[in-house]
Amino acid sequence: MMFLSLRFLLARRKQSILILMGITIGTAAYVAISGMMLGFQSYLLEQLVNNEAHVRISAREEILTEKEMASFPHSTHVFWDIPPSGRKDSTRIESPLGWFNKLDRDSKVAAYSPQVVSQVIFSRAKVTRAGRVIGSQFERQMKVTNIEKYMKAGTFKDLGNSGNRLIIGSELLKQLGTRVSETLLVATGSEAPQPFKIVGVFETGIKTIDETTAFISLVDAQKLRGRPSEITDIAVKFYEPQKAESQAQEWRISSLDKVLAWQEASASILSVFKTQNIVRNSMTISIIIVAGFGIYNILSILVNQKKKDIAILRSMGYTPKDIVKLFLNQGILLGLIGGVIGLILGNLLCHIMAQIEVAPGRISGPGNKMIISFSIFIYVKAFLIAIFSSVVSSIIPSREAGKLEPMDIIRSGGQ
Amino acid sequence: MIEVKNLFKSFPNAPSPILKGINLKIENGDFVSLVGRSGSGKSTLLYIMSTLDFGTSGEVYYDQNKVSHLPREEIYRIRNKKIGFVFQFHYLIQELTALENVLLPARKANEYEQRKPLALKLLKEVGLEGMENRAPSELSGGEQQRVAIARSLIMEPTYLFADEPTGNLDSINGLMIIELFEKINKEKGTTIIYVTHDKEFAQKARHQISLVDGVLS
Repeated sequence: MMFLSLRFLLARRKQSILILMGITIGTAAYVAISGMMLGFQSYLLEQLVNNEAHVRISAREEILTEKEMASFPHSTHVFWDIPPSGRKDSTRIESPLGWFNKLDRDSKVAAYSPQVVSQVIFSRAKVTRAGRVIGSQFERQMKVTNIEKYMKAGTFKDLGNSGNRLIIGSELLKQLGTRVSETLLVATGSEAPQPFKIVGVFETGIKTIDETTAFISLVDAQKLRGRPSEITDIAVKFYEPQKAESQAQEWRISSLDKVLAWQEASASILSVFKTQNIVRNSMTISIIIVAGFGIYNILSILVNQKKKDIAILRSMGYTPKDIVKLFLNQGILLGLIGGVIGLILGNLLCHIMAQIEVAPGRISGPGNKMIISFSIFIYVKAFLIAIFSSVVSSIIPSREAGKLEPMDIIRSGGQ
Repeated sequence: MIEVKNLFKSFPNAPSPILKGINLKIENGDFVSLVGRSGSGKSTLLYIMSTLDFGTSGEVYYDQNKVSHLPREEIYRIRNKKIGFVFQFHYLIQELTALENVLLPARKANEYEQRKPLALKLLKEVGLEGMENRAPSELSGGEQQRVAIARSLIMEPTYLFADEPTGNLDSINGLMIIELFEKINKEKGTTIIYVTHDKEFAQKARHQISLVDGVLS
């Protein structure tokens, strides 16, 4: 029936082109919008997942409440005059060796890095800036995060295992008005400031990190705090980042330390992604629905116009199934052709958008160009949406055509 | 052979049956005209005999096989391979050329290429040589009806049913169609049953079946 379906389509070029345009625009819009949004999302997600730990284990934070200070657990007649409040925090992980053993044994864990994270004041001459230093063993830190990828000057290995060397965020470097190989003073507040030599610069593109963070070795960080052998954090990397949240929940049950997965730490960003996806999908689905109604209307009109042809085909032995195919094929053909043209057009738009320059450090990728996703899944999904909407909107008129009996058409004079 | 036994046909809103106990036999190779006034039931009888419609009661037999007992797929196969139809309003598919229209039944039977030489021969026989690639809109009414006749013969059917094939044509073209039927019947042995109002055209048939108010007269 494909031959006849094609002939019917070609005979109604204007109608066919109009429907094709609807499907093409819908598909292209889906590809372009998804490319833009998912490009941005995947870039951010990659930073969220790989620049930080998948799970961060840190010293516990405990808010004191009335319940926790209950002296008479089962009493109903004892009341506080002034309920207790305050924090019962710890400055270190209580049992790091226990964690190390657990992490070493866990087959889901790809790597982990013990850290000492301290809030500090960076100063050079009269310029001071607040920020934080992350003390780590460079070999472990490089396995847990992508930090080496973001090095603008020097390598992360230059940090060494001691020797007061520091790798600084590019924005912080600018704000302090310093450069590589110069020396900064780093103070925790409780100990005397210590000089650190800048041996490298990194730039993640995330301003909040680049203008506040510096890396030093674990030993130097412990010395800076005046508490050797203590650690404040353990950054954990999983083979499958998606499993981080469930694992964090499991670990929380058996530990007093704070365990936070990247999904929980970035919950607000992930919820923005969700909203973006809803907007993206509803917008493109609206376009496709309009195109689908176009197909439905035109095929319904066509079935009405083609009643005589249906009667003659049935009298020649064509079956009701053949008649359904005759019209369904037209919908599928429109979906296929519109879908393919839409994919090409969408891809073209994506390539054009990928050349647009944007402000550095915001949604820009390498070379300050817009980050566009060219994921095959976008194209597969866009194509499937085009085909699905075409098939769904063709089914009703096609089935109606298949139900027509030749005698009913002949008796009504083919009208 | 087609045999009709005690055939009745009623329509839901009609006061009395349109066919009232029809009994007849049509031998293979016969040339039969069905005549009668408007509303006498001749077209209804033709469509029931041709499997496109069904009686309210009674039976139609094709070579002793009850049509009502045949599976639907078998009826579709009979329509494709054993029966040819010609309608009053030729019903050509406007999007196809004359040749493609003629080959439509062959396309259904997956015999398109195989029957192409026969299609060209049939078009030549109905006087349309050189017009194979013309669209129906480029042909006159008579020419379109001849294309429809060529189409009805493409599968070399045993039976050819025609419902007022000359009804939409002038007398010259009408006569040409009936003479064409005569020739086909004589040369190919096709059983031809046609409905007509025209007495002159009806007399061209070997046998005439006359219907008056749903009864054979």
